Amino acid sequence: MSLLPPPLEPVRPGLLRTVAPVTRLTVAAVWLLVAFAGIDPRVPAILLVAAVASLVFLSGLPLAGSLRRLAPLVLAAGGIALLTLLVHPSRADPSVPALIDVGPLRITGPALAAALALALRLAVIAVSSLLVFGPSDTTTFADSLAQQWRVPDRFAYGTLAALRIAPFLAADWATGSAVRRLRGIARRGPAARVRDVGARLLALLVSAVRRGERMALAMDARGFDAGRRRSRFRPIRLGVRDLVVLVTGFAVAAVAAAAGTLPA
Amino acid sequence: MTDAPPTGAVAVEARGFGWSYRGRERPALAGIELRLDPGALLLVVGPSGSGKSTLALALAGLIPHAIPGTWVGRLVVDGLDVAATPAPVIGERVGVVFQDPETGIVLDRVADEIAFGLENRGWELQQMRARVPEALALAGLAGFEGRRTANLSGGEQQRLAIAGALAPEPGLLVLDEPTANLDPPGMAAVFERLGALAARRDRTIVVIEHRLDAVLPIADRVLAIGADGRQLAFGPPDEVGASVAAELDRLGAWVPAAWHRYLARPVAVAAAGVPIRAPIGAAVGVPIGGPPGATGVGAVVARAADVTVPDRTVAAGPGRDILHGVSLEIRAGERVALVGPNGAGKSSLLFVLAGILRPSSGGVGVLDPGASPAGSPAASPALSHVSSPVPGPDGDAPLADPARMPPRRVPSALGLLFQDPEVGFVGRTVAAEVAAGGRASSGALLERFGLQGLADEDPYRLSRGEQRRLSVAAACASAPTLLLLDEPTYGLDRRATDAVVAMLDELRAEGQAQVVATHDPRLLPACHRVIALDIGRIAFDGSVAAFLAAPPYDPPDPWRAAAAGGVDPAVDR
Repeated sequence: MSLLPPPLEPVRPGLLRTVAPVTRLTVAAVWLLVAFAGIDPRVPAILLVAAVASLVFLSGLPLAGSLRRLAPLVLAAGGIALLTLLVHPSRADPSVPALIDVGPLRITGPALAAALALALRLAVIAVSSLLVFGPSDTTTFADSLAQQWRVPDRFAYGTLAALRIAPFLAADWATGSAVRRLRGIARRGPAARVRDVGARLLALLVSAVRRGERMALAMDARGFDAGRRRSRFRPIRLGVRDLVVLVTGFAVAAVAAAAGTLPA
Repeated sequence: MTDAPPTGAVAVEARGFGWSYRGRERPALAGIELRLDPGALLLVVGPSGSGKSTLALALAGLIPHAIPGTWVGRLVVDGLDVAATPAPVIGERVGVVFQDPETGIVLDRVADEIAFGLENRGWELQQMRARVPEALALAGLAGFEGRRTANLSGGEQQRLAIAGALAPEPGLLVLDEPTANLDPPGMAAVFERLGALAARRDRTIVVIEHRLDAVLPIADRVLAIGADGRQLAFGPPDEVGASVAAELDRLGAWVPAAWHRYLARPVAVAAAGVPIRAPIGAAVGVPIGGPPGATGVGAVVARAADVTVPDRTVAAGPGRDILHGVSLEIRAGERVALVGPNGAGKSSLLFVLAGILRPSSGGVGVLDPGASPAGSPAASPALSHVSSPVPGPDGDAPLADPARMPPRRVPSALGLLFQDPEVGFVGRTVAAEVAAGGRASSGALLERFGLQGLADEDPYRLSRGEQRRLSVAAACASAPTLLLLDEPTYGLDRRATDAVVAMLDELRAEGQAQVVATHDPRLLPACHRVIALDIGRIAFDGSVAAFLAAPPYDPPDPWRAAAAGGVDPAVDR
C-alpha cells in the first residue's frame, strides 16, 4: 500500500514507443543544443510546437496525465520568465523604447523577447524529457543504453535498480511524516520543521543505503555482474522507424536553427 | 522417486561452521555440523535471532564475499569450500529467496525479472524464451509473463522470487521464510509448490520457516539452532524432535504439532487448576466470540462512515476502489481482527483510521482523549472546536477527525504499527525508540520483549524478528486509546508472540481498543470480533466463531485450514 501517485504510462500506440530509447534521447539532445544556441525566441518556439505535436500524436502518453506532470515545470518556467521581464538590463537603458511604462514597471522589447525565449526553452526541456522517458519503461531504456551505446551493464542496470528504490524512498518519506505525527514528534511552525528536515533527510539516507544494500545482495545472489558476459533477453535493434525519427527530428532542429538566423 | 537423484542437485556439508558479523560481539552462528545428500530437503528451526537467515546468506556465498565479518570452520556446497570459492561460482549453484521479496525485484515485467538471472549467466535467447515459462509454471505463475511486478499480490511476488531463483536450475534452493506475510491462499500455494518441488528431488532445498507444520512432513532433515546461534541438533525430523523439542519450546521457538508428544509437560496444570502456559486467546481472558452486547464493550472510540478510497493506478482500471463504502465502529476495550486476502485493503483501512490516508468520500472519527477526562472516554464533553467530527450516537462522545487532531494529542489517541517495522523507527537506539513514545518505563518494556541486551543497538541493525518486537514495544509505550496494528506477529517466534499478545491484553484491559490486521490465524481466538475485507468492501463483520464457520471467501478452504492449524499450538498439549 503506497501513499504515492501512480507513474505516467503510455495508453495508446505511438511511433515513439516503437523506436529505441537512445533514438529519442539523441533527437532530444540535438533539440536542446539548438534551443540553447541562440537568443531568438522563434527557435525554441518551433521546437516546442514540434515537441507538443509529438507528445500529442506520437508518444501514446495520456494527455491529462502529461499535463499534470508538466504543470509544475510550466509554473516554474512562467515564474522565471516573469522575473526576466521585470529585471532585464534593458529596463534601465532609456534609449530602449518601453512597451509598457507605468510607475516602477517598465517593460522593454528586448526584455519581452528574452523572457519569452527563456520560458520557451524551459518548456522545450520539459516536454522533450517526457518524450524521451515517457513512451517506454525504464527497463527498455537500460536495455537500449547497454545494447546501442555499449553503456556498461553495471551502470545501466545498477541505475535501473536504484530507480526502483526511488519510489520506496518517496513512500518512506511520506510514511515518515505520518510516523512523526503519530509518534508525537512532529514539530509545529516553519523554523522547527526546517530543523526537522535535517534529521529526516539523514534517516532517509540511512533507509536508501539499506534498501540499496538489500537490492545489491539480491542482485549478487542472482549472478549480476559476476564477471561473465550478459546475454540479452530483450534484443533491441535499430530499424527504419529509428531512421525516420532521427531524420525528421534533425530536420526540425535544422528548420528551427535556420529560423533563428532570419531577420526579425 | 527413490532412485539416485538426477544430476544437478548438490550436496551440502558444514563442519564447525560459524560466523560473526563485523561490529557484533556475539557470533550469529556457531558450531554448525550438517550433511545433506543431493535432493534432500532441510528445514531450519530456531527462535527469533538465532542466525537462520545468516545460514541462508552463507549458503549463497553472500557471506563471506559480500558481507563483512569473521568466518569459522568449513561450509561446503557441491564440493566447493564456500569461503575459498569466488561468490559467482557458488552463486551458479544456488538460488535464494529472501524474506522480503519486494526489495529484491529488479525489473518491471514478470518475464524480464525471471530472465534477469539467466542473462547474468549468459544463457542463449532461445534457451531463455523456453525456460522463462517453465520456471513460472514451476512456481505456479503460468501465464504471468506480461504482468507488472509491482502489481502482483504479496503471494504472487513471493512465488515470482521463487521462479526467479529456480530459473537458472540451481542445484540448491534456499528459502528464507517464504510465506512471511502471505494470506492463507498465498501461503497454501507456496507450500503446495514447495511440496511439488521437493517431490521431484532434482534439487537440494533448504527452508527456513516459522510455520513448521506445513514443512515438517516433507523435510528429510531438520537443523535446530538455539537462541545463541549454536546448533542444538541435526538429523531426521523425528530424532531432532525427540531430542530438542522441549528445548526449543523453552527457548520460545514455535514447536510443530507433530513434536508436541516430545514435550515433557503435556498440558501441565498448576495447583489451582490453571494451565501453566495458557493458550493464546485463553491467556487474554476473553471469551471467544466476544462479550454480551455483540458489538463491543465500551464507548465508540473510532468510526468510519461510508469511506471510499479510489485506486489511481492505471492497472486497476476505472471504478476500482481500494476501499469502497466501508462503515464500521470500534469500541473501547475491544480487539478486532481485520482479515482478508493480500490487497483487500486492510493496511489502507488502518491508514484511513489513523488519518494518514484521506478518503475521497465518507468520514472518519476517532476519540480524542486529550479533550476528555482520562479514564472515562464515554463521558467526554463535546469537541466543538473540531472541524468535521463524525457525530456520535446518543450517549457517545463526538469523534475527532484524526487528520486534524492537534499533533501533541495524537500519540495518546492513536498508535499505528506498520507492517515493515523499519519505516516506523524514530530513535537512534533501541532504548530511545521505546522512550520516544513515552508513558511506560522503557527498561521494563525492553525486558518484556527480550530486548534488554540490545538497548544501545541501532534499531536498523536488529534482526527482522527483533525489529518487530521493538516496534510493538514502542507502540505500547504511549498506550493510545486506539491501537492499530498491521501484522504485529509476522515473523515472530512463540515467545515473542506470547509477549505481544500479553502486552496487548493488558492495554485492552485498561480500555484500549485494538484493530489487528493479520494473516496469522493464531491471533483470531484472541479477538472479540472479525472484520473481513474483500476487494475493498466489508465482506463480514461479526464473531470469530461465525467467521471460522463460514469464511466469506471463495474458496473458503485455505482460510478454514489455516484457522484449524492455528488453534492447535497449545491446546492439544
